[in-house]
Amino acid sequence: MRSRLRTWIVSSLVALFAVLATPPCPSAQSQSSQAASKSSAASAPAPKRDLTGVWQLQGGGGGAQPIAEDEDIPPMTPRAKVKFDAQKPGYGSRGAAGGNDPILQCDPIGFPRIMLMPTPNELLQVPGRTIQFWEREHEWRTIWTDGRPLPTDPDPAWYGYSIGHWESDDTFVVESMGFNDKTWLGPTGYPHSEDMRVIERYRRMDQDTIGYDMTITDPKAYTKPIVTPHRIMKLKPNEEISEQPCVWSQENEFAQRIRNPATPQPAK
Amino acid sequence: MKFSPATFVVFLTGFFLMCGPARAHHGNSAYDEAHWITISGTVTEFVWSNPHCQIFVDVKDDKGKVVNWAIESQSPGIMRRNSWSRTSLQPGDQITVTLAPAKNGAPVGFSGNADGKVVFSDGRILKMNNR
Repeated sequence: MRSRLRTWIVSSLVALFAVLATPPCPSAQSQSSQAASKSSAASAPAPKRDLTGVWQLQGGGGGAQPIAEDEDIPPMTPRAKVKFDAQKPGYGSRGAAGGNDPILQCDPIGFPRIMLMPTPNELLQVPGRTIQFWEREHEWRTIWTDGRPLPTDPDPAWYGYSIGHWESDDTFVVESMGFNDKTWLGPTGYPHSEDMRVIERYRRMDQDTIGYDMTITDPKAYTKPIVTPHRIMKLKPNEEISEQPCVWSQENEFAQRIRNPATPQPAK
Repeated sequence: MKFSPATFVVFLTGFFLMCGPARAHHGNSAYDEAHWITISGTVTEFVWSNPHCQIFVDVKDDKGKVVNWAIESQSPGIMRRNSWSRTSLQPGDQITVTLAPAKNGAPVGFSGNADGKVVFSDGRILKMNNR
C-alpha cells in the first residue's frame, strides 16, 4: 500500500513537472516568444535605421490585446478610477457581454489602442517623416523625424501628435502627446487623460522582427507610468494593408445579427 | 512508470490551471470560451464584411428542428491571411464548425481564434487565427 502511494506521489509529481515545463497554450501569450526565437535563428541581420514594411503584432491568441495585464497597471488617481468604473468592457477580468466600449459605435479606436489590434500596420520612411498606416480603420499618422519638438498646446486628437528619432542604428523612439481623453487604452477599459504621453521603442532585432515597447505616462490618471509587456512584430513581406474602416451601417448589421443576440437582455 | 488515472487528472488539472487565465484575459465575454462545441449543417449565408465576417448555418437539433446559427469570425483582412476568400462558402455547402457558443444560450457563436475552425465536406479545414 505504502509503495503504491509512493508511486502515485512520484508519478503525480513527474506529471505536474512535465506540465510546468511545457509552454502553456501555444495559442496564447507564448506565441510571440516562440515566433521570435524561431525566426531569430533563420532571419537575416537587421538593416540599419529602416523599419519600412508591413508589420504584424504577434501573440494575444489572435485577438485584441490588453494594454497590460491588470496586475501590471499602476494605481489610478481617484478621477481615473471613476472613469474606469464607468467604462464597461467586453474583454478581460471585468468583461461582460454588451458594455459601452466606444468602438462599438464606431468612435475612432485611437492611439495607443490601435497598436494592440490583430491587424497589421505599415511603416514608410520619407525625408522628414515616418508614416504609419493601420489596416484597422484604414487610419494613419505622421511621426515627424525632421527634428521639430513636440507642440506646446496641440488640439486634443484621437491619434495625437508624434515625433521620432533613431536612438541607435536599430532603435527608433517615438514620443507622442496631444490626445483627447475619449479613447480607452485597450479592450479591457483602462482610461487616460488628455495629459497622456507615450514613448514607443521600435527595435529592429533582425530582418523579420521588431521588438516593441511602450511607456505611458499620465500623472492625472496613474500614479506611475504604465510599462507595457514586451511585444513582437513580424515583417510580412507579401502582405498588403487592406481596408478595415468602421462603417456604422455594417457595425449595426453585425450588432443586430451577432452581437445583440449573444448579449443577455437586461431583466425587465 | 505506470501512470494511474489520478496522475492523468493531476496532469489535466495542471494544464487547465495554466491555460485558463491566459485565455480568460483575451476572450470576448459574450462567448463561453471554456466550452467549445462543434455543429454541422448547411450554409445559408456568408457575409464577407467588416467588422467581422459572418457565417449562417442551418443545424438540425436533437428533435429534428432546424435552427439557424450565426457565427462570428474575423475581419475580411484577417480571413484572407488565413486563406479565406469571399467565395469560400456558398449557400448549400455542408460544413462543420467548432465554435465558442454564446453564454446566453442563443444559437450564436465565435470561431475566430485558435480553437475555432471550419471543416468542409471534402475534409479541407480553414481556420482564422493565423497572424
